[in-house]
Amino acid sequence: MSLKAEVTLHTASLRRYALVLTRDPTAADDLVQETLMKAIDKADTWQPGTNLRPWLFRIMHNTHISDLRRAKTRSDAAPDLPEPVVPDHQHVQLELKQVLQALDQLPEAQRLPIILIALREMSYAEAARTLDVPLGTFMSRLGRGREALRKIVSGVTAGKLTVLNRKGNI
Amino acid sequence: MTQDTNTEQDLGLDDDLMAYVDGTLPPEKMAEVEARLARDPDARAATASWRHHDNLIRQMAQTADDLPANMRIAALERELTAKLKARKRRAFLMGPALGRIAASVLIFTAGWGGNALYNSAASIGGSAYPQFVSATVTGHYALQYASMQEAEFQPEEMETALDWISERMQRKIDSPKLGRLGYEVESARLVSAEGGPLAIFHFRDQQGERVTVSIAPHAPDKADYPLRVVRMDTDSIAYWTDAGLDYSIIGDVDVGQITTLAAAVRE
Repeated sequence: MSLKAEVTLHTASLRRYALVLTRDPTAADDLVQETLMKAIDKADTWQPGTNLRPWLFRIMHNTHISDLRRAKTRSDAAPDLPEPVVPDHQHVQLELKQVLQALDQLPEAQRLPIILIALREMSYAEAARTLDVPLGTFMSRLGRGREALRKIVSGVTAGKLTVLNRKGNI
Repeated sequence: MTQDTNTEQDLGLDDDLMAYVDGTLPPEKMAEVEARLARDPDARAATASWRHHDNLIRQMAQTADDLPANMRIAALERELTAKLKARKRRAFLMGPALGRIAASVLIFTAGWGGNALYNSAASIGGSAYPQFVSATVTGHYALQYASMQEAEFQPEEMETALDWISERMQRKIDSPKLGRLGYEVESARLVSAEGGPLAIFHFRDQQGERVTVSIAPHAPDKADYPLRVVRMDTDSIAYWTDAGLDYSIIGDVDVGQITTLAAAVRE
Protein backbone atom coordinates (compact mmCIF):
# COMPACT_ATOMS: atom_id res chain seq x y z
CA MET A 1 0.00 0.00 0.00
CA SER A 2 1.39 3.42 -0.87
CA LEU A 3 2.00 5.98 1.86
CA LYS A 4 -0.71 8.15 0.36
CA ALA A 5 -3.25 5.31 0.47
CA GLU A 6 -2.18 4.52 4.02
CA VAL A 7 -2.72 8.11 5.19
CA THR A 8 -6.16 8.16 3.52
CA LEU A 9 -7.12 4.89 5.20
CA HIS A 10 -5.99 6.07 8.63
CA THR A 11 -7.73 9.43 8.23
CA ALA A 12 -11.02 7.59 7.67
CA SER A 13 -10.33 5.62 10.87
CA LEU A 14 -9.55 8.81 12.75
CA ARG A 15 -12.86 10.27 11.58
CA ARG A 16 -14.73 7.24 12.97
CA TYR A 17 -12.91 7.43 16.29
CA ALA A 18 -13.48 11.18 16.48
CA LEU A 19 -17.20 10.77 15.85
CA VAL A 20 -17.58 8.39 18.80
CA LEU A 21 -15.46 10.66 20.99
CA THR A 22 -17.34 13.85 20.15
CA ARG A 23 -20.81 12.55 19.06
CA ASP A 24 -21.01 15.47 16.65
CA PRO A 25 -19.95 15.42 12.98
CA THR A 26 -18.69 19.00 12.98
CA ALA A 27 -16.74 18.55 16.21
CA ALA A 28 -15.39 15.24 14.87
CA ASP A 29 -14.07 16.88 11.70
CA ASP A 30 -12.57 19.69 13.80
CA LEU A 31 -10.78 17.08 15.91
CA VAL A 32 -9.51 15.27 12.80
CA GLN A 33 -8.24 18.54 11.33
CA GLU A 34 -6.50 19.46 14.55
CA THR A 35 -4.95 16.00 14.69
CA LEU A 36 -3.68 16.18 11.11
CA MET A 37 -2.24 19.65 11.66
CA LYS A 38 -0.36 18.39 14.71
CA ALA A 39 0.78 15.33 12.77
CA ILE A 40 2.18 17.61 10.05
CA ASP A 41 4.07 19.58 12.70
CA LYS A 42 5.34 16.39 14.32
CA ALA A 43 6.11 14.50 11.09
CA ASP A 44 9.77 14.24 12.10
CA THR A 45 8.83 12.19 15.17
CA TRP A 46 7.38 9.37 13.02
CA GLN A 47 9.83 6.51 12.55
CA PRO A 48 9.63 5.24 8.95
CA GLY A 49 8.98 1.54 8.90
CA THR A 50 6.79 1.68 12.01
CA ASN A 51 3.01 1.53 11.97
CA LEU A 52 1.51 4.92 11.21
CA ARG A 53 -1.90 4.16 12.74
CA PRO A 54 -0.98 4.13 16.48
CA TRP A 55 1.16 7.24 15.93
CA LEU A 56 -1.80 9.13 14.44
CA PHE A 57 -4.30 7.83 17.00
CA ARG A 58 -1.96 8.81 19.79
CA ILE A 59 -1.86 12.36 18.48
CA MET A 60 -5.68 12.38 18.30
CA HIS A 61 -5.93 10.93 21.80
CA ASN A 62 -3.65 13.63 23.25
CA THR A 63 -5.49 16.32 21.32
CA HIS A 64 -8.84 15.09 22.58
CA ILE A 65 -7.64 14.94 26.18
CA SER A 66 -6.26 18.49 25.89
CA ASP A 67 -9.58 19.66 24.46
CA LEU A 68 -11.44 17.98 27.30
CA ARG A 69 -9.25 19.60 29.87
CA ARG A 70 -9.75 22.97 28.22
CA ALA A 71 -13.48 22.58 27.99
CA LYS A 72 -13.76 20.90 31.40
CA THR A 73 -16.70 18.98 30.12
CA ARG A 74 -17.74 16.59 27.39
CA SER A 75 -20.60 17.35 25.09
CA ASP A 76 -23.76 15.42 25.81
CA ALA A 77 -24.35 12.42 23.65
CA ALA A 78 -27.94 12.11 22.63
CA PRO A 79 -28.95 15.49 21.22
CA ASP A 80 -25.99 15.62 18.85
CA LEU A 81 -26.03 12.13 17.40
CA PRO A 82 -25.40 12.31 13.68
CA GLU A 83 -28.26 11.15 11.49
CA PRO A 84 -28.60 8.41 10.50
CA VAL A 85 -26.51 6.90 13.26
CA VAL A 86 -27.35 3.23 12.84
CA PRO A 87 -29.84 1.18 10.86
CA ASP A 88 -33.24 2.70 11.28
CA HIS A 89 -34.61 0.52 14.07
CA GLN A 90 -36.02 2.35 17.02
CA HIS A 91 -34.85 -0.18 19.58
CA VAL A 92 -31.32 -0.08 18.20
CA GLN A 93 -31.33 3.71 18.48
CA LEU A 94 -32.51 3.42 22.05
CA GLU A 95 -29.88 0.83 22.90
CA LEU A 96 -27.17 2.92 21.34
CA LYS A 97 -28.30 5.95 23.31
CA GLN A 98 -28.16 3.92 26.54
CA VAL A 99 -24.70 2.59 25.72
CA LEU A 100 -23.35 6.05 24.86
CA GLN A 101 -24.82 7.53 28.01
CA ALA A 102 -23.30 4.69 30.02
CA LEU A 103 -19.95 5.25 28.28
CA ASP A 104 -20.09 8.87 29.37
CA GLN A 105 -20.29 7.75 32.99
CA LEU A 106 -17.00 5.87 32.70
CA PRO A 107 -13.64 7.52 33.34
CA GLU A 108 -11.67 8.34 30.19
CA ALA A 109 -9.13 5.70 31.23
CA GLN A 110 -11.78 3.01 30.69
CA ARG A 111 -13.88 4.71 28.02
CA LEU A 112 -11.09 5.12 25.46
CA PRO A 113 -9.88 1.49 25.50
CA ILE A 114 -13.47 0.33 24.94
CA ILE A 115 -13.91 2.64 21.94
CA LEU A 116 -10.51 1.83 20.40
CA ILE A 117 -11.13 -1.91 20.56
CA ALA A 118 -14.76 -1.63 19.44
CA LEU A 119 -13.55 0.02 16.20
CA ARG A 120 -11.74 -3.26 15.40
CA GLU A 121 -8.90 -1.43 13.71
CA MET A 122 -6.08 -2.05 16.18
CA SER A 123 -4.54 -4.84 18.19
CA TYR A 124 -4.45 -4.63 21.99
CA ALA A 125 -0.74 -3.73 21.80
CA GLU A 126 -1.31 -0.95 19.26
CA ALA A 127 -4.19 0.46 21.28
CA ALA A 128 -2.05 0.39 24.44
CA ARG A 129 0.70 2.27 22.58
CA THR A 130 -1.88 4.78 21.37
CA LEU A 131 -2.95 5.50 24.94
CA ASP A 132 0.65 5.33 26.15
CA VAL A 133 0.01 2.73 28.84
CA PRO A 134 1.55 -0.72 29.41
CA LEU A 135 -0.35 -3.59 27.81
CA GLY A 136 -1.32 -5.05 31.20
CA THR A 137 -2.76 -1.74 32.33
CA PHE A 138 -4.64 -1.39 29.06
CA MET A 139 -6.16 -4.88 29.36
CA SER A 140 -7.19 -4.23 32.93
CA ARG A 141 -8.84 -0.92 32.01
CA LEU A 142 -10.58 -2.48 29.02
CA GLY A 143 -11.94 -5.39 31.06
CA ARG A 144 -13.04 -3.31 34.01
CA GLY A 145 -14.55 -0.75 31.66
CA ARG A 146 -16.52 -3.36 29.74
CA GLU A 147 -17.90 -4.84 32.94
CA ALA A 148 -18.77 -1.41 34.29
CA LEU A 149 -20.50 -0.50 31.04
CA ARG A 150 -22.47 -3.72 31.08
CA LYS A 151 -23.65 -3.19 34.62
CA ILE A 152 -24.63 0.43 34.04
CA VAL A 153 -26.59 -0.50 30.93
CA SER A 154 -28.29 -3.36 32.70
CA GLY A 155 -29.37 -1.04 35.46
CA VAL A 156 -27.03 -1.78 38.32
CA THR A 157 -27.00 1.23 40.63
CA ALA A 158 -24.06 3.50 40.15
CA GLY A 159 -23.24 3.53 43.83
CA LYS A 160 -22.14 -0.11 43.74
CA LEU A 161 -19.51 0.47 41.12
CA THR A 162 -16.20 1.70 42.29
CA VAL A 163 -15.14 2.21 38.68
CA LEU A 164 -17.48 5.14 38.41
CA ASN A 165 -15.24 7.19 40.60
CA ARG A 166 -13.85 9.43 37.87
CA LYS A 167 -11.46 11.43 40.01
CA GLY A 168 -7.95 11.43 38.63
CA ASN A 169 -8.54 8.69 36.14
CA ILE A 170 -7.83 10.55 32.93
CA MET B 1 -8.31 -24.35 34.56
CA THR B 2 -10.51 -21.28 34.69
CA GLN B 3 -12.91 -21.00 37.58
CA ASP B 4 -16.62 -20.88 36.89
CA THR B 5 -17.45 -18.87 39.98
CA ASN B 6 -17.24 -15.19 39.11
CA THR B 7 -17.17 -12.08 41.21
CA GLU B 8 -18.40 -8.76 39.80
CA GLN B 9 -14.99 -7.75 38.53
CA ASP B 10 -13.09 -10.88 37.55
CA LEU B 11 -14.97 -11.55 34.32
CA GLY B 12 -13.55 -8.31 32.97
CA LEU B 13 -10.06 -9.39 33.96
CA ASP B 14 -10.30 -12.74 32.21
CA ASP B 15 -7.97 -12.49 29.20
CA ASP B 16 -9.48 -15.57 27.54
CA LEU B 17 -13.00 -14.15 27.57
CA MET B 18 -11.69 -10.83 26.31
CA ALA B 19 -9.78 -12.51 23.49
CA TYR B 20 -12.85 -14.62 22.63
CA VAL B 21 -14.97 -11.49 22.19
CA ASP B 22 -12.30 -9.69 20.19
CA GLY B 23 -11.59 -12.63 17.90
CA THR B 24 -8.01 -13.05 19.06
CA LEU B 25 -8.38 -16.27 21.05
CA PRO B 26 -5.87 -18.91 19.88
CA PRO B 27 -7.64 -21.83 18.15
CA GLU B 28 -6.28 -24.31 20.68
CA LYS B 29 -8.16 -22.48 23.46
CA MET B 30 -11.44 -22.09 21.61
CA ALA B 31 -12.98 -25.41 22.70
CA GLU B 32 -12.09 -24.79 26.34
CA VAL B 33 -13.64 -21.31 26.36
CA GLU B 34 -16.76 -22.45 24.51
CA ALA B 35 -17.24 -25.28 27.01
CA ARG B 36 -16.91 -22.81 29.85
CA LEU B 37 -19.44 -20.45 28.26
CA ALA B 38 -21.85 -23.36 27.85
CA ARG B 39 -21.87 -24.06 31.58
CA ASP B 40 -21.31 -20.54 32.96
CA PRO B 41 -24.31 -18.22 32.43
CA ASP B 42 -22.49 -15.20 33.96
CA ALA B 43 -19.60 -15.50 31.55
CA ARG B 44 -22.02 -16.08 28.68
CA ALA B 45 -24.02 -12.98 29.53
CA ALA B 46 -20.91 -10.86 29.97
CA THR B 47 -19.33 -11.83 26.66
CA ALA B 48 -22.62 -11.37 24.83
CA SER B 49 -23.00 -7.88 26.28
CA TRP B 50 -19.42 -6.84 25.55
CA ARG B 51 -19.77 -7.97 21.97
CA HIS B 52 -23.16 -6.28 21.57
CA HIS B 53 -21.89 -2.98 22.98
CA ASP B 54 -18.83 -3.14 20.73
CA ASN B 55 -21.09 -3.69 17.72
CA LEU B 56 -23.27 -0.70 18.61
CA ILE B 57 -20.24 1.57 19.11
CA ARG B 58 -18.70 0.36 15.85
CA GLN B 59 -21.93 0.91 13.93
CA MET B 60 -22.05 4.45 15.18
CA ALA B 61 -18.39 5.01 14.28
CA GLN B 62 -19.03 3.73 10.76
CA THR B 63 -21.61 6.45 10.16
CA ALA B 64 -18.55 8.72 9.81
CA ASP B 65 -18.01 7.06 6.42
CA ASP B 66 -21.30 8.60 5.24
CA LEU B 67 -20.39 12.13 6.30
CA PRO B 68 -19.82 14.59 3.46
CA ALA B 69 -16.27 14.84 2.13
CA ASN B 70 -14.27 17.48 3.95
CA MET B 71 -12.00 19.46 1.62
CA ARG B 72 -9.91 20.84 4.46
CA ILE B 73 -9.23 17.33 5.75
CA ALA B 74 -8.35 16.18 2.22
CA ALA B 75 -5.86 19.04 1.87
CA LEU B 76 -4.30 18.29 5.25
CA GLU B 77 -4.10 14.62 4.29
CA ARG B 78 -2.09 15.54 1.18
CA GLU B 79 0.16 17.83 3.17
CA LEU B 80 0.77 15.13 5.77
CA THR B 81 1.58 12.57 3.07
CA ALA B 82 4.15 14.94 1.55
CA LYS B 83 5.68 15.59 5.00
CA LEU B 84 5.90 11.89 5.79
CA LYS B 85 7.48 11.14 2.43
CA ALA B 86 10.08 13.82 3.06
CA ARG B 87 10.62 12.35 6.51
CA LYS B 88 11.11 8.93 4.94
CA ARG B 89 13.64 10.25 2.44
CA ARG B 90 15.60 12.07 5.14
CA ALA B 91 15.59 9.01 7.38
CA PHE B 92 16.84 6.95 4.46
CA LEU B 93 19.67 9.28 3.56
CA MET B 94 20.76 10.34 7.03
CA GLY B 95 19.72 7.59 9.37
CA PRO B 96 20.49 3.91 9.91
CA ALA B 97 18.31 2.98 6.93
CA LEU B 98 21.16 3.97 4.65
CA GLY B 99 23.00 0.88 5.80
CA ARG B 100 20.32 -1.26 4.21
CA ILE B 101 20.80 0.14 0.78
CA ALA B 102 23.60 -0.59 -1.57
CA ALA B 103 24.71 2.75 -2.92
CA SER B 104 27.31 1.66 -5.37
CA VAL B 105 27.77 5.22 -6.55
CA LEU B 106 28.59 8.48 -4.88
CA ILE B 107 25.43 10.46 -4.30
CA PHE B 108 24.95 14.11 -3.64
CA THR B 109 21.99 14.89 -1.41
CA ALA B 110 21.09 18.20 -2.91
CA GLY B 111 18.53 20.03 -0.84
CA TRP B 112 19.41 18.19 2.34
CA GLY B 113 22.67 19.84 3.21
CA GLY B 114 24.77 18.68 0.32
CA ASN B 115 26.26 15.77 2.22
CA ALA B 116 28.17 13.24 0.16
CA LEU B 117 27.25 9.73 1.21
CA TYR B 118 28.89 6.54 0.14
CA ASN B 119 28.12 2.94 0.84
CA SER B 120 29.71 0.09 -1.03
CA ALA B 121 27.54 -2.64 0.46
CA ALA B 122 25.15 -4.37 -1.90
CA SER B 123 22.18 -5.30 0.22
CA ILE B 124 18.61 -4.27 0.90
CA GLY B 125 17.16 -5.48 4.16
CA GLY B 126 20.16 -7.69 4.70
CA SER B 127 19.81 -9.65 1.44
CA ALA B 128 22.18 -9.49 -1.49
CA TYR B 129 20.87 -7.65 -4.55
CA PRO B 130 22.43 -6.86 -7.90
CA GLN B 131 24.33 -3.58 -7.94
CA PHE B 132 22.10 -2.05 -10.61
CA VAL B 133 19.11 -2.48 -8.26
CA SER B 134 20.96 -0.79 -5.42
CA ALA B 135 22.00 2.06 -7.68
CA THR B 136 18.39 2.49 -8.85
CA VAL B 137 17.13 2.67 -5.27
CA THR B 138 19.75 5.29 -4.51
CA GLY B 139 18.83 7.18 -7.67
CA HIS B 140 15.15 7.11 -6.70
CA TYR B 141 15.79 8.70 -3.32
CA ALA B 142 18.69 10.99 -4.10
CA LEU B 143 17.91 14.11 -6.07
CA GLN B 144 21.13 14.16 -7.98
CA TYR B 145 24.23 12.10 -8.58
CA ALA B 146 27.43 14.08 -8.35
CA SER B 147 30.69 12.93 -9.84
CA MET B 148 29.25 9.70 -11.26
CA GLN B 149 26.61 11.48 -13.34
CA GLU B 150 27.49 11.80 -17.02
CA ALA B 151 24.40 13.62 -18.24
CA GLU B 152 20.88 14.67 -17.28
CA PHE B 153 17.99 15.28 -19.70
CA GLN B 154 14.66 17.04 -19.43
CA PRO B 155 11.44 15.57 -20.94
CA GLU B 156 11.78 17.58 -24.16
CA GLU B 157 15.30 16.17 -24.64
CA MET B 158 14.28 12.52 -24.50
CA GLU B 159 15.22 11.80 -28.11
CA THR B 160 18.71 13.13 -27.50
CA ALA B 161 18.83 11.25 -24.22
CA LEU B 162 18.00 7.93 -25.89
CA ASP B 163 20.62 8.53 -28.61
CA TRP B 164 23.23 9.35 -25.98
CA ILE B 165 22.32 6.39 -23.78
CA SER B 166 22.19 3.99 -26.75
CA GLU B 167 25.62 5.08 -27.88
CA ARG B 168 27.06 4.74 -24.38
CA MET B 169 25.57 1.26 -23.99
CA GLN B 170 26.37 0.30 -27.59
CA ARG B 171 22.85 -0.93 -28.27
CA LYS B 172 19.44 0.57 -29.01
CA ILE B 173 17.71 1.72 -25.83
CA ASP B 174 14.01 2.65 -25.89
CA SER B 175 12.27 4.81 -23.32
CA PRO B 176 10.13 2.80 -20.88
CA LYS B 177 6.50 3.15 -21.96
CA LEU B 178 4.51 4.06 -18.89
CA GLY B 179 2.31 6.69 -20.54
CA ARG B 180 -0.75 4.46 -20.81
CA LEU B 181 -0.56 3.88 -17.03
CA GLY B 182 -0.73 7.64 -16.45
CA TYR B 183 2.97 8.31 -15.85
CA GLU B 184 4.94 11.00 -17.66
CA VAL B 185 8.70 11.08 -17.88
CA GLU B 186 10.17 13.79 -15.69
CA SER B 187 13.88 13.43 -16.40
CA ALA B 188 16.52 10.94 -17.47
CA ARG B 189 20.08 10.51 -16.25
CA LEU B 190 23.10 8.58 -17.40
CA VAL B 191 25.27 7.46 -14.52
CA SER B 192 28.59 5.63 -14.30
CA ALA B 193 27.81 3.00 -11.72
CA GLU B 194 30.28 0.46 -10.43
CA GLY B 195 29.00 -2.17 -12.85
CA GLY B 196 29.06 0.16 -15.89
CA PRO B 197 26.69 2.74 -17.41
CA LEU B 198 23.22 2.99 -15.91
CA ALA B 199 20.30 4.87 -17.47
CA ILE B 200 17.79 6.18 -14.95
CA PHE B 201 14.33 7.43 -15.98
CA HIS B 202 12.14 9.29 -13.48
CA PHE B 203 8.36 9.27 -14.01
CA ARG B 204 5.50 10.96 -12.16
CA ASP B 205 1.75 10.41 -12.33
CA GLN B 206 -1.00 13.04 -12.04
CA GLN B 207 -1.15 12.60 -8.28
CA GLY B 208 2.56 13.38 -8.05
CA GLU B 209 3.63 9.80 -7.25
CA ARG B 210 7.14 9.04 -8.53
CA VAL B 211 8.51 5.83 -9.97
CA THR B 212 12.07 5.31 -11.18
CA VAL B 213 13.16 2.89 -13.91
CA SER B 214 16.77 1.93 -14.65
CA ILE B 215 18.37 0.11 -17.58
CA ALA B 216 21.92 -1.24 -17.63
CA PRO B 217 23.84 -3.68 -19.84
CA HIS B 218 23.82 -7.14 -18.30
CA ALA B 219 27.28 -8.44 -17.29
CA PRO B 220 28.01 -11.34 -19.70
CA ASP B 221 29.65 -13.44 -16.99
CA LYS B 222 26.50 -13.45 -14.85
CA ALA B 223 23.29 -15.44 -15.19
CA ASP B 224 20.15 -13.57 -16.21
CA TYR B 225 17.96 -12.36 -13.35
CA PRO B 226 14.41 -13.70 -13.51
CA LEU B 227 11.68 -11.17 -12.61
CA ARG B 228 11.72 -10.59 -8.88
CA VAL B 229 9.49 -8.27 -6.81
CA VAL B 230 10.47 -7.17 -3.28
CA ARG B 231 9.05 -4.77 -0.69
CA MET B 232 11.06 -2.15 1.16
CA ASP B 233 8.94 -0.27 3.72
CA THR B 234 6.12 1.20 1.64
CA ASP B 235 8.08 0.97 -1.62
CA SER B 236 8.07 -1.93 -4.07
CA ILE B 237 10.96 -2.90 -6.33
CA ALA B 238 10.95 -5.15 -9.40
CA TYR B 239 14.03 -6.21 -11.35
CA TRP B 240 14.89 -8.64 -14.14
CA THR B 241 17.12 -9.29 -17.14
CA ASP B 242 15.79 -9.22 -20.69
CA ALA B 243 17.70 -9.43 -23.98
CA GLY B 244 21.06 -8.53 -22.47
CA LEU B 245 19.78 -5.63 -20.38
CA ASP B 246 19.11 -5.42 -16.65
CA TYR B 247 15.97 -3.53 -15.67
CA SER B 248 14.73 -2.33 -12.30
CA ILE B 249 11.78 -0.21 -11.21
CA ILE B 250 10.95 1.26 -7.80
CA GLY B 251 8.03 3.30 -6.47
CA ASP B 252 5.78 3.90 -3.47
CA VAL B 253 3.17 1.47 -4.83
CA ASP B 254 1.95 -1.98 -3.90
CA VAL B 255 3.25 -5.24 -5.32
CA GLY B 256 0.42 -5.52 -7.85
CA GLN B 257 1.06 -2.05 -9.23
CA ILE B 258 4.85 -2.51 -9.47
CA THR B 259 4.24 -5.75 -11.37
CA THR B 260 1.91 -3.91 -13.76
CA LEU B 261 4.54 -1.20 -14.24
CA ALA B 262 7.24 -3.83 -14.81
CA ALA B 263 5.04 -5.48 -17.45
CA ALA B 264 4.63 -2.12 -19.20
CA VAL B 265 8.41 -1.59 -19.18
CA ARG B 266 8.93 -5.09 -20.61
CA GLU B 267 6.68 -4.26 -23.52
